[in-house]
Amino acid sequence: MRELISLLARVAQGAGAILLLALLGAAAVFFAMRAGHGDPALAVLGDMATPETIAAFRLKWQLNDPLLVQFWRWLSGALIGDFGASMVVATGEPIVKLVGSRLPNTLFVGAYALALALVISLIAGTISALRHGKLIDSASTSLAVLGISMPDFWLSYALIYALALGLGIFPSYGFTTPSLSLAGALYSGFLPALAIAAPMAAAFTRILRTALLETLFRDHVRVARSLGHSENFIFLHHVFRNALIPYVTVIGLQVRYLLGGTVVVERIFGVNGVGSLMVDAAFARDYPLVQACALVFLACVLLVNFAVDLICTRLDPRRA
Amino acid sequence: MKLNLATAMSNKLALIGGCVTGIVALAVVFGPWLSPYSPTEADFLALLAPPSLSHPLGTDSFGRDVLTRVLYGARISLAVSISGVLAAAVFGVIIGMMAAWRGGLWSAVAMRFCDLLFSFPSFVLALFMMVVLGYGVVNIAIAIALIYMPIFARLSRNMALLVKDEPYVHAAILMGQPTHSVLLREILPNIAAPVFVQIALGVAFGIVIEAGLSFLGLGVQPPNPSLGTIMADGREYFQRAPWVLTLTGMVVSIALLGLNLLSDGLRDVMDPKLRARL
Repeated sequence: MRELISLLARVAQGAGAILLLALLGAAAVFFAMRAGHGDPALAVLGDMATPETIAAFRLKWQLNDPLLVQFWRWLSGALIGDFGASMVVATGEPIVKLVGSRLPNTLFVGAYALALALVISLIAGTISALRHGKLIDSASTSLAVLGISMPDFWLSYALIYALALGLGIFPSYGFTTPSLSLAGALYSGFLPALAIAAPMAAAFTRILRTALLETLFRDHVRVARSLGHSENFIFLHHVFRNALIPYVTVIGLQVRYLLGGTVVVERIFGVNGVGSLMVDAAFARDYPLVQACALVFLACVLLVNFAVDLICTRLDPRRA
Repeated sequence: MKLNLATAMSNKLALIGGCVTGIVALAVVFGPWLSPYSPTEADFLALLAPPSLSHPLGTDSFGRDVLTRVLYGARISLAVSISGVLAAAVFGVIIGMMAAWRGGLWSAVAMRFCDLLFSFPSFVLALFMMVVLGYGVVNIAIAIALIYMPIFARLSRNMALLVKDEPYVHAAILMGQPTHSVLLREILPNIAAPVFVQIALGVAFGIVIEAGLSFLGLGVQPPNPSLGTIMADGREYFQRAPWVLTLTGMVVSIALLGLNLLSDGLRDVMDPKLRARL
């Protein structure tokens, strides 16, 4: 019962912190956009716009109101899930609908990439630590350094070249929405997910190997061994469990790179996600849409970090 | 925690990484002078020539030598990345040290701002800054600085908190050293090692950000070469001439590999326990 209460308190505290950061983020995004160079009216209508059309545009998008009024209107809308309408990319279309239809694709590819990175790093990191100093360890550590040295967009093309154009196993472009066909999404999403996952997997492998090696020679492991526990039991309960704490922490830190990676990779593989939507919006200077996309990404990172924080407290009771 | 050259030499990683980084740096600084080709002038007799002795990385759709363009482009990419990361380091370390030293409202606000920056996906923040500030080389450097500043702030805050209560810091305060001199002469040298490691890592990361932005067409604008714009060009005719994109990417990877090995090696040389603290 007490555990449940402390968990609830922690969740409430975390939710409060998230809400505060999200509000700050919303304000920062809004005012940075307004302080930035360029007038949305000019960006949309072009240099040839007459003063009359510009005035009409400003009136239509209510750009003449004081900044704080505009901010309040936008924020109060955003809180009930109304981000206004897109200016350029899909003129007049509600942004919630645009982002909502694409968010599942981004989340799917992101989760897919995370899953791949976890599987690869758990296997490679464990083998590397248990066989440290051996050939297989050197091979895996070298591969890991190579992995973090490959920009995801370049890796995307290397994968397209080898596996799509060369061997013809995977499609080089296009993505099937998971709601249409899960198998199709897993198949067509494999290359983009792998391109995002490879640098992550490399970083995770390195941290898991280090963490495992650090715990392998601790006193409590020696004691467990002297008590006659089997090696498998010791590894699972005394080594792996402890090494998980830095491992999970690093996953939380890397999520911002993982979600950042989706932006370019979505574009390359033609995944209809929030990342490619944001690139379109950036090109078209569709200000409200850029704002909304940035906030959606911010919310994703905050939520994942919150989950990571909860998992870490569970793994390491000293933190609570 | 002085950097001992002998130990650095004995660390194979640091040595290899340093060599690779050094070769890349030399090539970037002196290479463009040695190349007989121009990075922007077209040669219509050698369109999309595959790699050969006269064009080691082939030519692009304007017949321009890809190696020459890579050498010129790497100058811009490196300059952008280095200036962005150095700016991030300066501001981040100041914020972090102040937060550890004094606490107080000002530094709390600065740290929350860093937390906020840290919560945006890296590339999303870069993209957003490009819309706010407009395209251009300086703005990419600013974006890199904003992405990387929270990392320096957190790192130097955590390190400074450890150092702050050491006897020699107390001694310096008791001897009547003014605050700025305690911070600069006692604390900064003792948190410098991990900061250097982060700078090496950050420069590698900055190259990727610049290349990514320019690759999408939101960074350095053609015909100026940068590693990203060269690869973006290569994408257009990827099927006919895969070498432009592939080999340029490989050069980028080699540079990143050098920087990553160097930072790994530096980390081991300076402080083997650093990893646990990050």
